[in-house]
Amino acid sequence: MTPIILWLLDRLRPLFRTMGADYGQLRAIVQVKLTMDNRRSFVSLGRYGKQSEETNNSFIRILGIYMLVGGFIALGILSFPEQDRMFFPLTLQFSYTMALCAMTLISDFSSVILDSSDNQIILPRPVSNRTLWLARVVHISSYLFTIALSLSLGAIFILSNRFGALAGVLMLVLSLLSAVLMVFLTNVFYLVLMRFISEEKLREVINYFQIVMAILVYGGYQLLPRLMDPKTRLTQAFEHQWWHYLVPPMWMAGAVDTVVRPAIDQMHLIFLALAFIAPFAGLWFMNRFLTSDFTQKLSGLDQESRPVVSAVSAQETRQTRVGWVERFADWFTTNPLERAAFAFTWRVTGRDRKFKLKTYPQLGFGLAYVVVMSIQGQTFGSSSFFYLFALYFASIYVMVAHYQLGVSDNYRAAWVYGSAPIREPGAILSGSLKALIIKLLTPFYLLLSAYILYRYGTDKISDVLLAFCNSLVMLVSSALLSTRYMPFSTAQDALKQNITARGLLIGIVLGIVGFSHYGLTFVPYGVWLAIPVSIAAFWLLFNQYKKTGWDQVVMG
Amino acid sequence: MNMTPIIQLNDLYKSYGSTPVLKGINLNVSPGQVVGYIGPNGAGKSTTIKILIGMLPDYAGEATVLGMDVKTNSLEIKRRIGYVPENAALYDTLTPMEYLQFIGQLYGLETGQIERKALDLLRLFQLNDYTNARMTTFSKGMRQKVLLISGLLHNPDVIFLDEPLSGLDANAVVLVKEIIRQLANSGKTVFYSSHIMDVVEKISDRIIIINQGQIIADGTFAELQHQRPESLEQLFAELTGSEGQTGVAEEFIHTLKN
Repeated sequence: MTPIILWLLDRLRPLFRTMGADYGQLRAIVQVKLTMDNRRSFVSLGRYGKQSEETNNSFIRILGIYMLVGGFIALGILSFPEQDRMFFPLTLQFSYTMALCAMTLISDFSSVILDSSDNQIILPRPVSNRTLWLARVVHISSYLFTIALSLSLGAIFILSNRFGALAGVLMLVLSLLSAVLMVFLTNVFYLVLMRFISEEKLREVINYFQIVMAILVYGGYQLLPRLMDPKTRLTQAFEHQWWHYLVPPMWMAGAVDTVVRPAIDQMHLIFLALAFIAPFAGLWFMNRFLTSDFTQKLSGLDQESRPVVSAVSAQETRQTRVGWVERFADWFTTNPLERAAFAFTWRVTGRDRKFKLKTYPQLGFGLAYVVVMSIQGQTFGSSSFFYLFALYFASIYVMVAHYQLGVSDNYRAAWVYGSAPIREPGAILSGSLKALIIKLLTPFYLLLSAYILYRYGTDKISDVLLAFCNSLVMLVSSALLSTRYMPFSTAQDALKQNITARGLLIGIVLGIVGFSHYGLTFVPYGVWLAIPVSIAAFWLLFNQYKKTGWDQVVMG
Repeated sequence: MNMTPIIQLNDLYKSYGSTPVLKGINLNVSPGQVVGYIGPNGAGKSTTIKILIGMLPDYAGEATVLGMDVKTNSLEIKRRIGYVPENAALYDTLTPMEYLQFIGQLYGLETGQIERKALDLLRLFQLNDYTNARMTTFSKGMRQKVLLISGLLHNPDVIFLDEPLSGLDANAVVLVKEIIRQLANSGKTVFYSSHIMDVVEKISDRIIIINQGQIIADGTFAELQHQRPESLEQLFAELTGSEGQTGVAEEFIHTLKN
């Protein structure tokens, strides 16, 4: 992909010159960034660290998926409405493109936009703010353009087939302009964030934002097809409202509508003008006003992260602040090693951004999925079987979280496990697992069961308890069966073992346990009787896990 | 010392938020000098260098390099200076050759020229076998060599080195020391910050000690020694107020025993 982009850039050389950039430098920066992207796996685009080889396989795979999804959506909403009822379907199509662009920008490219390694490497060189900023925009846009293109390929095809080539071309251009507009809006968004939030907090906030966004997308894939009831909502005749001028996807849709109908009236002309002027005005505005501010703020990102002398002195910490972590650690662990691992895992899982980014969205989505299914699904969701399905289904997400425990960017620090006189690494593994159970699994199940009890009646309490115990059993079994890593001791790519095979196995076991549970519900007191059995099994397996010796642990 | 100074600082103040880091630095450096800039952690060494190379524009006071104001002419200054940062930041998924190509292009050098120079320089640092290997696997010393080359590739007039010897092996240290000496002999100015006292003592024409954002000593080693005939290490400890390290060490051992 890199040569194509560079070729295109060379064609646009005069444009960059007029925008005040040093083209040679810009080209060098973009080239290096693209090369590095190819060698690095995408953080969340290619989830679970599928390390791409020299070529950007994961990215291409994602483009393929986008193309399929975009194609289906276009087929569903753009291929049947009457010529004069295309406005809302088009709006939906553009909303989808814009939403995905914004998502990608925030979840995957915030690291690109806010990359402070540039501070050390590029800022000391004679590169002007404008060149650096433009290089960043070009770098990001090259991805966004391909994403926007692959999403709207179906729509372009359908439109040019139904309404002529001009409509198709317009669709193409406007999809690209949507991406530009999103770059502008995200830039503004970040600048606003930076204005109100201290720089050191910014990354934290963005992290939480990413988590929320990720939940929205996961949920969106599920929800969107359900929300689209094509017969009623979409083909409504278009009634123009003044606030439509404030909704960017409507500009684009209006502009395409101009050609589709074809109609040239005041409203369509305004939409057309907005669609074409706004992205360029955004670009001009960014280039004119935001560049220096942005880079300056960015170089602040690093400076701010000097060691801050905490207000609480060491003495005070020792005496007064026996926090939750210590208290929980005291309650739930038996030996010092386990206690240490418990507190360590507890703290890192709360602070490591990558861990949070990889696990919290999954958990959030697990909850969202259950709620959505129970409301939407007419047949499946209301069946007496569904809440059991939900309870067991949810435990998969916790296992994924456990899987992430072994991974860290700071995996090199794992030498301490090797140098410390640890006789039984099992104590560390069990302490860390306990922290995961107390910190993630239990609150997660509390929320889930609260919802299920609310919706299906409090008499389901026995089922919830048994499902919880069974999930614990399965969590420990999966921990026992899979390769055991010390907490946070391996690099991401070391973990790309056969996830699918293991996932399948867990799925089967999950199914068997779930169905047995379902069977038990027909036996009087069967569920209540099974709970102690399940607890005993958990106890046995957990002790087994705790006895893990060095020969069973894989050091990264 | 009657030449026009190549680096000039007048009443330089800088603070991060509300914490002052530099409290009025005054400094003139003539061409052809090796200046050793030393001070304890957090004294403001790296901050001074970052201001001089135009990375931190929001300071108070006056700073000129090569006769140009750092605030208004930072691009022109950056073009003519070299900088080797302390924390070994480089794009390590690249190979040394790709990285040097990239940096060279930022200075507007020709790709052919960069390639030729980079190959020679890498060979001189005994990295010729690793020209096309990715730097992710490089040791700290190897990275440091690549960084040094990347800072000097465009043949700058003024060179800012922040801990340039960290991670290098003994032979490379000797080599780099000699390179610094010869750079100065050929008329270039080297502004050098380090914690390793005996290196500073040996290669610097002039030593500047800062502590808590202020210059507390300035002169040749002989001049500094003139005040108290000790090694630079002792002098440093005395001036920066960390005398009695023996006592601290004793206490340290004592605490370990508890």
